[in-house]
Amino acid sequence: MSTNRYRVLLLSVLLGVAWLPEAGAQVPAQSACHNAAASRTAIYFVNGVTTTRDEARLNGGKLELEFLSKLPTMAPAVQAMCHLFFLNINPTSGAVKDFLEAGQQRLGLTSTTFWQGLEGAGLATSGVIAQVLQRPISNANQIDDETIQRHATAFREQIASPTCRRVLVVPHSQGNLYSNASYNRLLGQAPTPPTGTVKIVGVATPADVVQGNGLYRTSSTDLLISGIRLVLRTTLPANTNWGISPLLLSPAYSGGHSFIGYLTAEPSRTQILTDMEFSLIALASVNPC
Amino acid sequence: MISGVLSGLLLSCSGENSTSTSPNQTESIAGVDADANGVRDDVDRYIDTTYAGQASADLNKAVRQYAKAVQSSLLDADSHTLSLTHATERFRALECLMARRPDEFHAIFVDIRAQLLNTPSRSEAYLNADDQVKTANIPLLPADQWVTACQS
Repeated sequence: MSTNRYRVLLLSVLLGVAWLPEAGAQVPAQSACHNAAASRTAIYFVNGVTTTRDEARLNGGKLELEFLSKLPTMAPAVQAMCHLFFLNINPTSGAVKDFLEAGQQRLGLTSTTFWQGLEGAGLATSGVIAQVLQRPISNANQIDDETIQRHATAFREQIASPTCRRVLVVPHSQGNLYSNASYNRLLGQAPTPPTGTVKIVGVATPADVVQGNGLYRTSSTDLLISGIRLVLRTTLPANTNWGISPLLLSPAYSGGHSFIGYLTAEPSRTQILTDMEFSLIALASVNPC
Repeated sequence: MISGVLSGLLLSCSGENSTSTSPNQTESIAGVDADANGVRDDVDRYIDTTYAGQASADLNKAVRQYAKAVQSSLLDADSHTLSLTHATERFRALECLMARRPDEFHAIFVDIRAQLLNTPSRSEAYLNADDQVKTANIPLLPADQWVTACQS
C-alpha cells in the first residue's frame, strides 16, 4: 500500500468508518417526494467562516445523507413530508485569505498543511479565527447586510405561494449569526410569513441566542467556540460532545469545530438529527400558505 | 503554550506531506500538464498512486473530475462568468464523490484539495474564484441523483 493511500485510509479510520473499496450505494429517493400532494420542506445549510464554497457543498451533502439515513425511524409526520436541501452561502473567501496569511506567518504552515488543518486544533487555538469571528459578534453592524438580505429573501420565496414550503435552517459556526439576523429580517419585513414556518437548529454556535426558540448543539470539545466563550461570556453553553471520537486526534478535525465532525461523532450526530426531527414535527403543524 | 503544542502537533502530523510534495513556491498557477488532460501532472501522479487498482477505479475518476474542475477554476479565477461555470463543475464533481464514497468523501476532499492548492498563488486563485461567485445560487442535485453527476 502506498504511503499516500495509507494516509487517506488512516484519516478514514479516524473518521470512524471502514474502508469500502466498492462504489457507494445509491441513495433512494424519498417516497414522499413522489407524492405531489405531500408537504414540502426546504432544509438550508448555512456555512461557517472556515468553510469555503466547496466545503459548504460537502457539509450540506453530509447533512442530507445523515438526515436521510435517520428519516425511516423519524415521526410519521416527518416521513410524510418531502424534504429538499439547499445552501445559503456565507461568503468566506476574504476571511479564509486572512487565515491563510496568518497561518503561514504565525504558525509557519505551508499551503498544503494549511488546507489540511483548516479545522484543526492549531488554527482553532491560535486566535487567528476567533479574532475574525469576534468582530461581527461584538458589533452586529459588521455582519454583511447584503448576505442577510439574500438569505431572508430565499426563505421568503420558499414560504410564499406557489412553493408554500416550511423552512428549517441548520447553520454552522458563523452561519448562526447570519441565520439569526436573516430570521429577524424575514419577520421584520412585510409581508410577514405565518408564525412558525421557519425553525433554526444551530450547530457550533458563537451566538447567545437561537431565534424563534430554536434548538442548538455546541460541543464541549469545540476549541474555537470555547475560546470565544472565554471572551464573550453570554455565548450559549456547550450541550453536547464528540465522545471519545478519534477525530479529535486527527489534524483535519482536532479543533472539534468541523460540521462533518459534529455529524460523524456521537452523541452530537444523533442529538442534531433529533433536534431536526423535533423542529420538523413543529413545522408540520403549520401551513405556510 | 497549549496553542503552541497543538500547532506543533498539527505540523508534525502533516509534515510528511510538505516534504513529499515539495512544490516550488514560485511555480506558476497552471503548473505542468504535459498530457493536456486538464490536471497538473504532479496531481495526476498523486491520484494514480493514491487511488490505484481496479477497486478504486471509480474513485480515481471522481477525484480526477474534481481536480480538473479546480484547475479550471484556478486558471479562470479572473472571470466571473467562467468562475460560475467552474464552481458548478466543482459542485457536480463533489456530488459524484459523495455518491462514490458516502462515508469517506470529506477526508478524500481535504487530501486532494491540499495537493491541488500546494502554493500560495494557487490557494489565492482558489479563493479569488470563490469570491467571483460569492452571491451566486448554484443548484444542488438531491442525493438520489448524485451518481448522475459522475463523468464517464
